[in-house]
Amino acid sequence: MARGKKWFALALSAVVIATLAACGGGNNASSGGGQGTQPGTGASGTSGKKEEVKLKFLTGKVETVDWMNDLIKKFEAANPGIKVEQEYQKDASNVIKVKFASGDVPDITTVVTQDFIDQGKYVDLTNDPVWSRIEPSIKELSTDIKTGKTYKIATNMTMAGIFYNKKLFNELGLKEATTWDEFHANLMAIKEKKPGVVPMFLAGKDSWTLGHLIEFMAHGVIKQQLGIKDARAAFINNDTAKLAFDAPGGSMETFAKRMLQLEDDGLVNKDLLTATYDNQKQEFAAGRVGVISQGMWVLADLLKLDPAVKDWIGFSPFPPIVDGTKPVVLSAEDSAYAITADSKHPEEAKKFLQFLFQADNQKAYSEFLKTPSAFKDVSADWGVLKEDASKALGKAVPIAFTDTPSGFSGDDAGRMVQELFAGKYKAPADFAKAYAETWTKGWSAANKK
Amino acid sequence: MRTPIASVSKGIAVMVVSLVSLLPFYSLFYLSVRSPSARSFEGQLLVPDFRFANFVEAWNVSRIGQAIGNSLVITAGAVLVLILFASAAGFAIARNRDWFHRLAFRLFLVCMMIPAIIITVPLYTLMKSINGINTHWAMILLLAAHALPFSVFLYTNFIRAIPREMEEAAVIDGCTPFAAFWRVTFHLLKPVTASVIILNGLSIWNNYAQSVFFLQDQSMRTVPLAVSMFFQKYGAQWNLMAAAAVIGLAPAVAAFLLFQRYFMKGIAAGAVKG
Amino acid sequence: MKLHIMRRLGGNLHKAMALPALLLFAVFFLIPLAQGIGISLTDSNGVAKPNFVGLQNFADFFRDDRAKRDIANTVLFAAASAPLLNLFGLAYALLLDRPFPGRNAVRAIVYLPAVISPLIMGYIWYFLLQPGRGFLHQVGERYGIGALQTDWLGSASTTLWVIVLVNVWQYVGMTMIVYLAGLQSIPGEVLEAARIDGAGYWTTLRSITIPLLAPSININVVTNIIGSLSVFDIIVALTDGGPGYSTESLSLYIMRMLYGSFTGYSTAVAILLFLIILVPVSVYLMLMRRRQIEA
Repeated sequence: MARGKKWFALALSAVVIATLAACGGGNNASSGGGQGTQPGTGASGTSGKKEEVKLKFLTGKVETVDWMNDLIKKFEAANPGIKVEQEYQKDASNVIKVKFASGDVPDITTVVTQDFIDQGKYVDLTNDPVWSRIEPSIKELSTDIKTGKTYKIATNMTMAGIFYNKKLFNELGLKEATTWDEFHANLMAIKEKKPGVVPMFLAGKDSWTLGHLIEFMAHGVIKQQLGIKDARAAFINNDTAKLAFDAPGGSMETFAKRMLQLEDDGLVNKDLLTATYDNQKQEFAAGRVGVISQGMWVLADLLKLDPAVKDWIGFSPFPPIVDGTKPVVLSAEDSAYAITADSKHPEEAKKFLQFLFQADNQKAYSEFLKTPSAFKDVSADWGVLKEDASKALGKAVPIAFTDTPSGFSGDDAGRMVQELFAGKYKAPADFAKAYAETWTKGWSAANKK
Repeated sequence: MRTPIASVSKGIAVMVVSLVSLLPFYSLFYLSVRSPSARSFEGQLLVPDFRFANFVEAWNVSRIGQAIGNSLVITAGAVLVLILFASAAGFAIARNRDWFHRLAFRLFLVCMMIPAIIITVPLYTLMKSINGINTHWAMILLLAAHALPFSVFLYTNFIRAIPREMEEAAVIDGCTPFAAFWRVTFHLLKPVTASVIILNGLSIWNNYAQSVFFLQDQSMRTVPLAVSMFFQKYGAQWNLMAAAAVIGLAPAVAAFLLFQRYFMKGIAAGAVKG
Repeated sequence: MKLHIMRRLGGNLHKAMALPALLLFAVFFLIPLAQGIGISLTDSNGVAKPNFVGLQNFADFFRDDRAKRDIANTVLFAAASAPLLNLFGLAYALLLDRPFPGRNAVRAIVYLPAVISPLIMGYIWYFLLQPGRGFLHQVGERYGIGALQTDWLGSASTTLWVIVLVNVWQYVGMTMIVYLAGLQSIPGEVLEAARIDGAGYWTTLRSITIPLLAPSININVVTNIIGSLSVFDIIVALTDGGPGYSTESLSLYIMRMLYGSFTGYSTAVAILLFLIILVPVSVYLMLMRRRQIEA
C-alpha cells in the first residue's frame, strides 16, 4: 500500500510544483526567460510593478536580424529602462494578420500592408521631424495613396533590374538592351556562342522571383504610362480600366508571350521550375549565367560566394516587353518601419527609431545591407554597382513595387507564372484572363463594401 | 524459409532495405562535413572531407543549444502531462460502460481526424488571453491537449485487454479503485506508455505549426524553429545547413536509439489489442 | 456478478478520472473548434467585421478549379500512399520478424526516418533529387546512368509519385512496428499446427497470419488514411505545391487561403477536409466491425 501511495504522491506533487512554478506570472526558471506578462505587451494593465518598458519589434527581413540585435544592445545600454525584443518571422506579413486578429500587437514593425493602413493600425508619421533628412521621393513612396498620410519611414532605397556578366558581354560584343528584340538577340548570341552558359537563369521554385518578373516587367508597362503616384492609386483601388490586365495585346498577354518565347527558344535554364534562388546565385557567381532578374539585395550574397564578382558584374534596366515603351528600373523604398496605433509605448518606440535613424547607425546599416541610404546626410560606400545604378536611373523610367492585394500576393502571381512555363495556358490571352480574374478576387477579399 | 536460397535472398533483401533507409542520412552527413565550395557535390563523390568545424559554426550561429533546452523542457513536460491524463482517461473509459464515457471515447476518436488548422485563429486569441504566448507551460498544455486523442485511444484499447481482476484484487485488499489503478494497472501499462512516450514525444519535439505562432521570442525557440530560421539565413551554404540539420536531428535520434529496445519490446508485448 | 463488480469499481473518483483529460482537451481544442466552425460560416478576412454567409464558402469551394484539383491531388496521394505503406510495412515486418544477427539494428534503421522532422526531411530529399546539382544526378552523370538524371520534381506527372515515395520511405517504419507487434501476438502453436499440416509459406500467410493481423491492419489503415489526407510538410519541403499548383494538397491550400485573408473560407475548407477524412475512415471501420461480428 505504501509503495503505491508514495509513487502517486510523487507524481501529484510533481504536477503541483510544475503548476505553481508556471503560475509565477508566466516567468520560467528555464533557459531564456520568456516573459509573457510584462508590461508593454498590449495586455490589460495588470502590470505596474516594474517601470521597465518592453518594446516588441516584428521584422520580416531575415538578413538584418543579427545587425539589429547588435543595435538593440547599444540602444538598451544608452536607454536603461527600455528593452527591445526583436521577433523575426519568415512569413511576417501573414503572421501579423493573426497577431492583429488576436490583439497581440507589436510596437514597431517592418510589415506595412494596405489592409492594415485602412484599418487605422499604424501611427501617423507624416510630420515626423526625421523626414527633413530624407529624400522627398522616398517620403512620397512611403505615403499612403488613399489618405495621403505617411505611416512608415523608409531608410533605404533599393533597385532591381537585370544583372549581367560584363566579361561575357564584352567577349561577345554585346551591349545593354534597350528594346525587347535587342534583349532577345543578346540571349540568342549567348546561347549560340557559349553552350555551357545559361543565357537567362530563372529561379522558378522560389515563386517570388517569378512574381517579381510580373511586378517589374509586366506592371512596368502600366506604371510608366501612369507615373508613380497614379499607378499606385490604380493598383490599390483596382482601377480595372487603367490596369486592363486582360486587354488584348495588353501588358499581361504580352508578358506571357515573351516568357513563352524565351522558353521555346531555349534561352532559359531547362530546370527553371525546380531551380532555387540559391541555385541562381551560385550559378551566376560561378560565371555560368548571362543575365538574371534581381534586386540589389542579391549583391551581398553574390559577393560572399565570390568576391571577384565585383569585377565583372553589371546592372541595367529591364528591357520593355511592349514595343514602343521604355525600359524600366525599380527604384523604391526599402527598410521601412512603422509604429502600431495600439502600441502602449509610442514614445519609447519613437525613441528607438530615432536612435536607429542616427546618421552613424544608418551609414553602418547601408554599408552592411549594400543598398543606398535614403538619408541626405549619410554618404555610405554601399557598394559595387553605385555607378551602374545611377546610370540605369538615367536611362530608364523608375517604377515602384506593386501594392499587391493580400488575397493575391507576389508569391501567388509567381505560381501562376510557374504554371505558364509548365504549359498550363494554351494561349497568352488565357494567362492574361486568369491573372485579371485572380487579381480581382484577391483584391475583393480584403476590400469589402 | 530455411533453404539456402531463401536465406541468401532474405539477406540481400535486408541489405537493400537498410541501404535505402540509410542513403538520405548518409548524404546529409556527407554534406555536413564538407568544406564550403560553389557547387554542392563537386570533387569526391562518396568520401567527404570531414570538416567538423562546420558543426561548431552551425551550433554557435543557430544558437541551437538554447533551442535544445527549450525543446527538452516542453517535450518532457507535455509527455508527463499526457501520460498522467491519458492513462487516467483510458482507464475510466475502458472500465465504465456508461453513455458519458462511450461518448468521450467517440469524441476523441473523431477529433483525431480534425485538421488543426481550423482552430489556429481562435487558439491564438485564447493563448493571448491567458498570457500563454512565449511561455513553456502554455505550450506544454497545448501540445499535450492535441496529443490526447491518439494517446487515450491507445490506452483505452490496451486497458480493455487487461482483465478487471487485476484491480479487483487490490480493491479486495482494501484499496480504492482510484489507488488500485495507480498501484496495479499502471505498471502493467509500461509497454503502451513506452509507445505513447516515443510516438508523441517525437511529434511534440518536431512540432512546428503551433510553435511558430506561440513561441515567438528568440530565446524561447525550439529546435525546429531554430533550424528553420537558420535555413533561411544561410540557405546558400549547404554544408552549414546540413550540419545544423544533423545537430537538430541528433537528440531525437539518440533518444530513439536509447529507448527503442523498450519501445520494441513494449509493442511486441501487445500494444495492439484491437 | 458483473453488476456487483461494477458497483465496487465505480464511485466518484473512478468516474472522474477522465475529467482532467476532457477538461484540458475542451479548453485547448474543443472550444476553439466551435469558434472555428463559427468562423467558417462567415466571410471573415481576419481584419474587418465578419458577416454571416451561411454555407456560401462551401459552395464557392466546389466552383473553384484549383480547389477541385487539390482534392484530386490529395486523394490520389492518399490512395497511393496508404496501400504502399501497408504493403511495405507488412513486407518489412515479415522480413524482420524472426531473429537473426543485427535484426534489431535493421528494425531501428528502418524506423529512423520517421524520427526526423518533415522539415529537415524535405531538405534531405531536395539535396538528393535536384536536377543538375542533386546527389542522384551527380552519381548518374559520373557513372553515365541516364535514368538518374531526370528532373524528378519538375514535371507534374512524376512529381506526385516522388512525393508519395518519399512519404512512404519516411513512415514505413511506423507501419512496420505495428505489424511486428501484431505478428508477435500470433500464438506460435497456430503457426506450428499449420506447418505440421503441410501448409506452405504463402498459404499460411494468406489464411492464418493476415486474418490474425486484423487489429494491426485496422490501426495502420486508419492512421495512414488520416495522415496522408492531411499531408502538408512534405509537400512544402519538396515542391511547395508546385510546379504551379500541380502538387498542392488541401492542407496547403487551406493554409494559403488563411494567409490570403480568406479566413472564413479557409476554415470552411478545413471542415470539408475533415469530412473527406471522416468518410473513408468511417466506411472502413464499419466494414471491419461487420466482419468482426460475422467472424
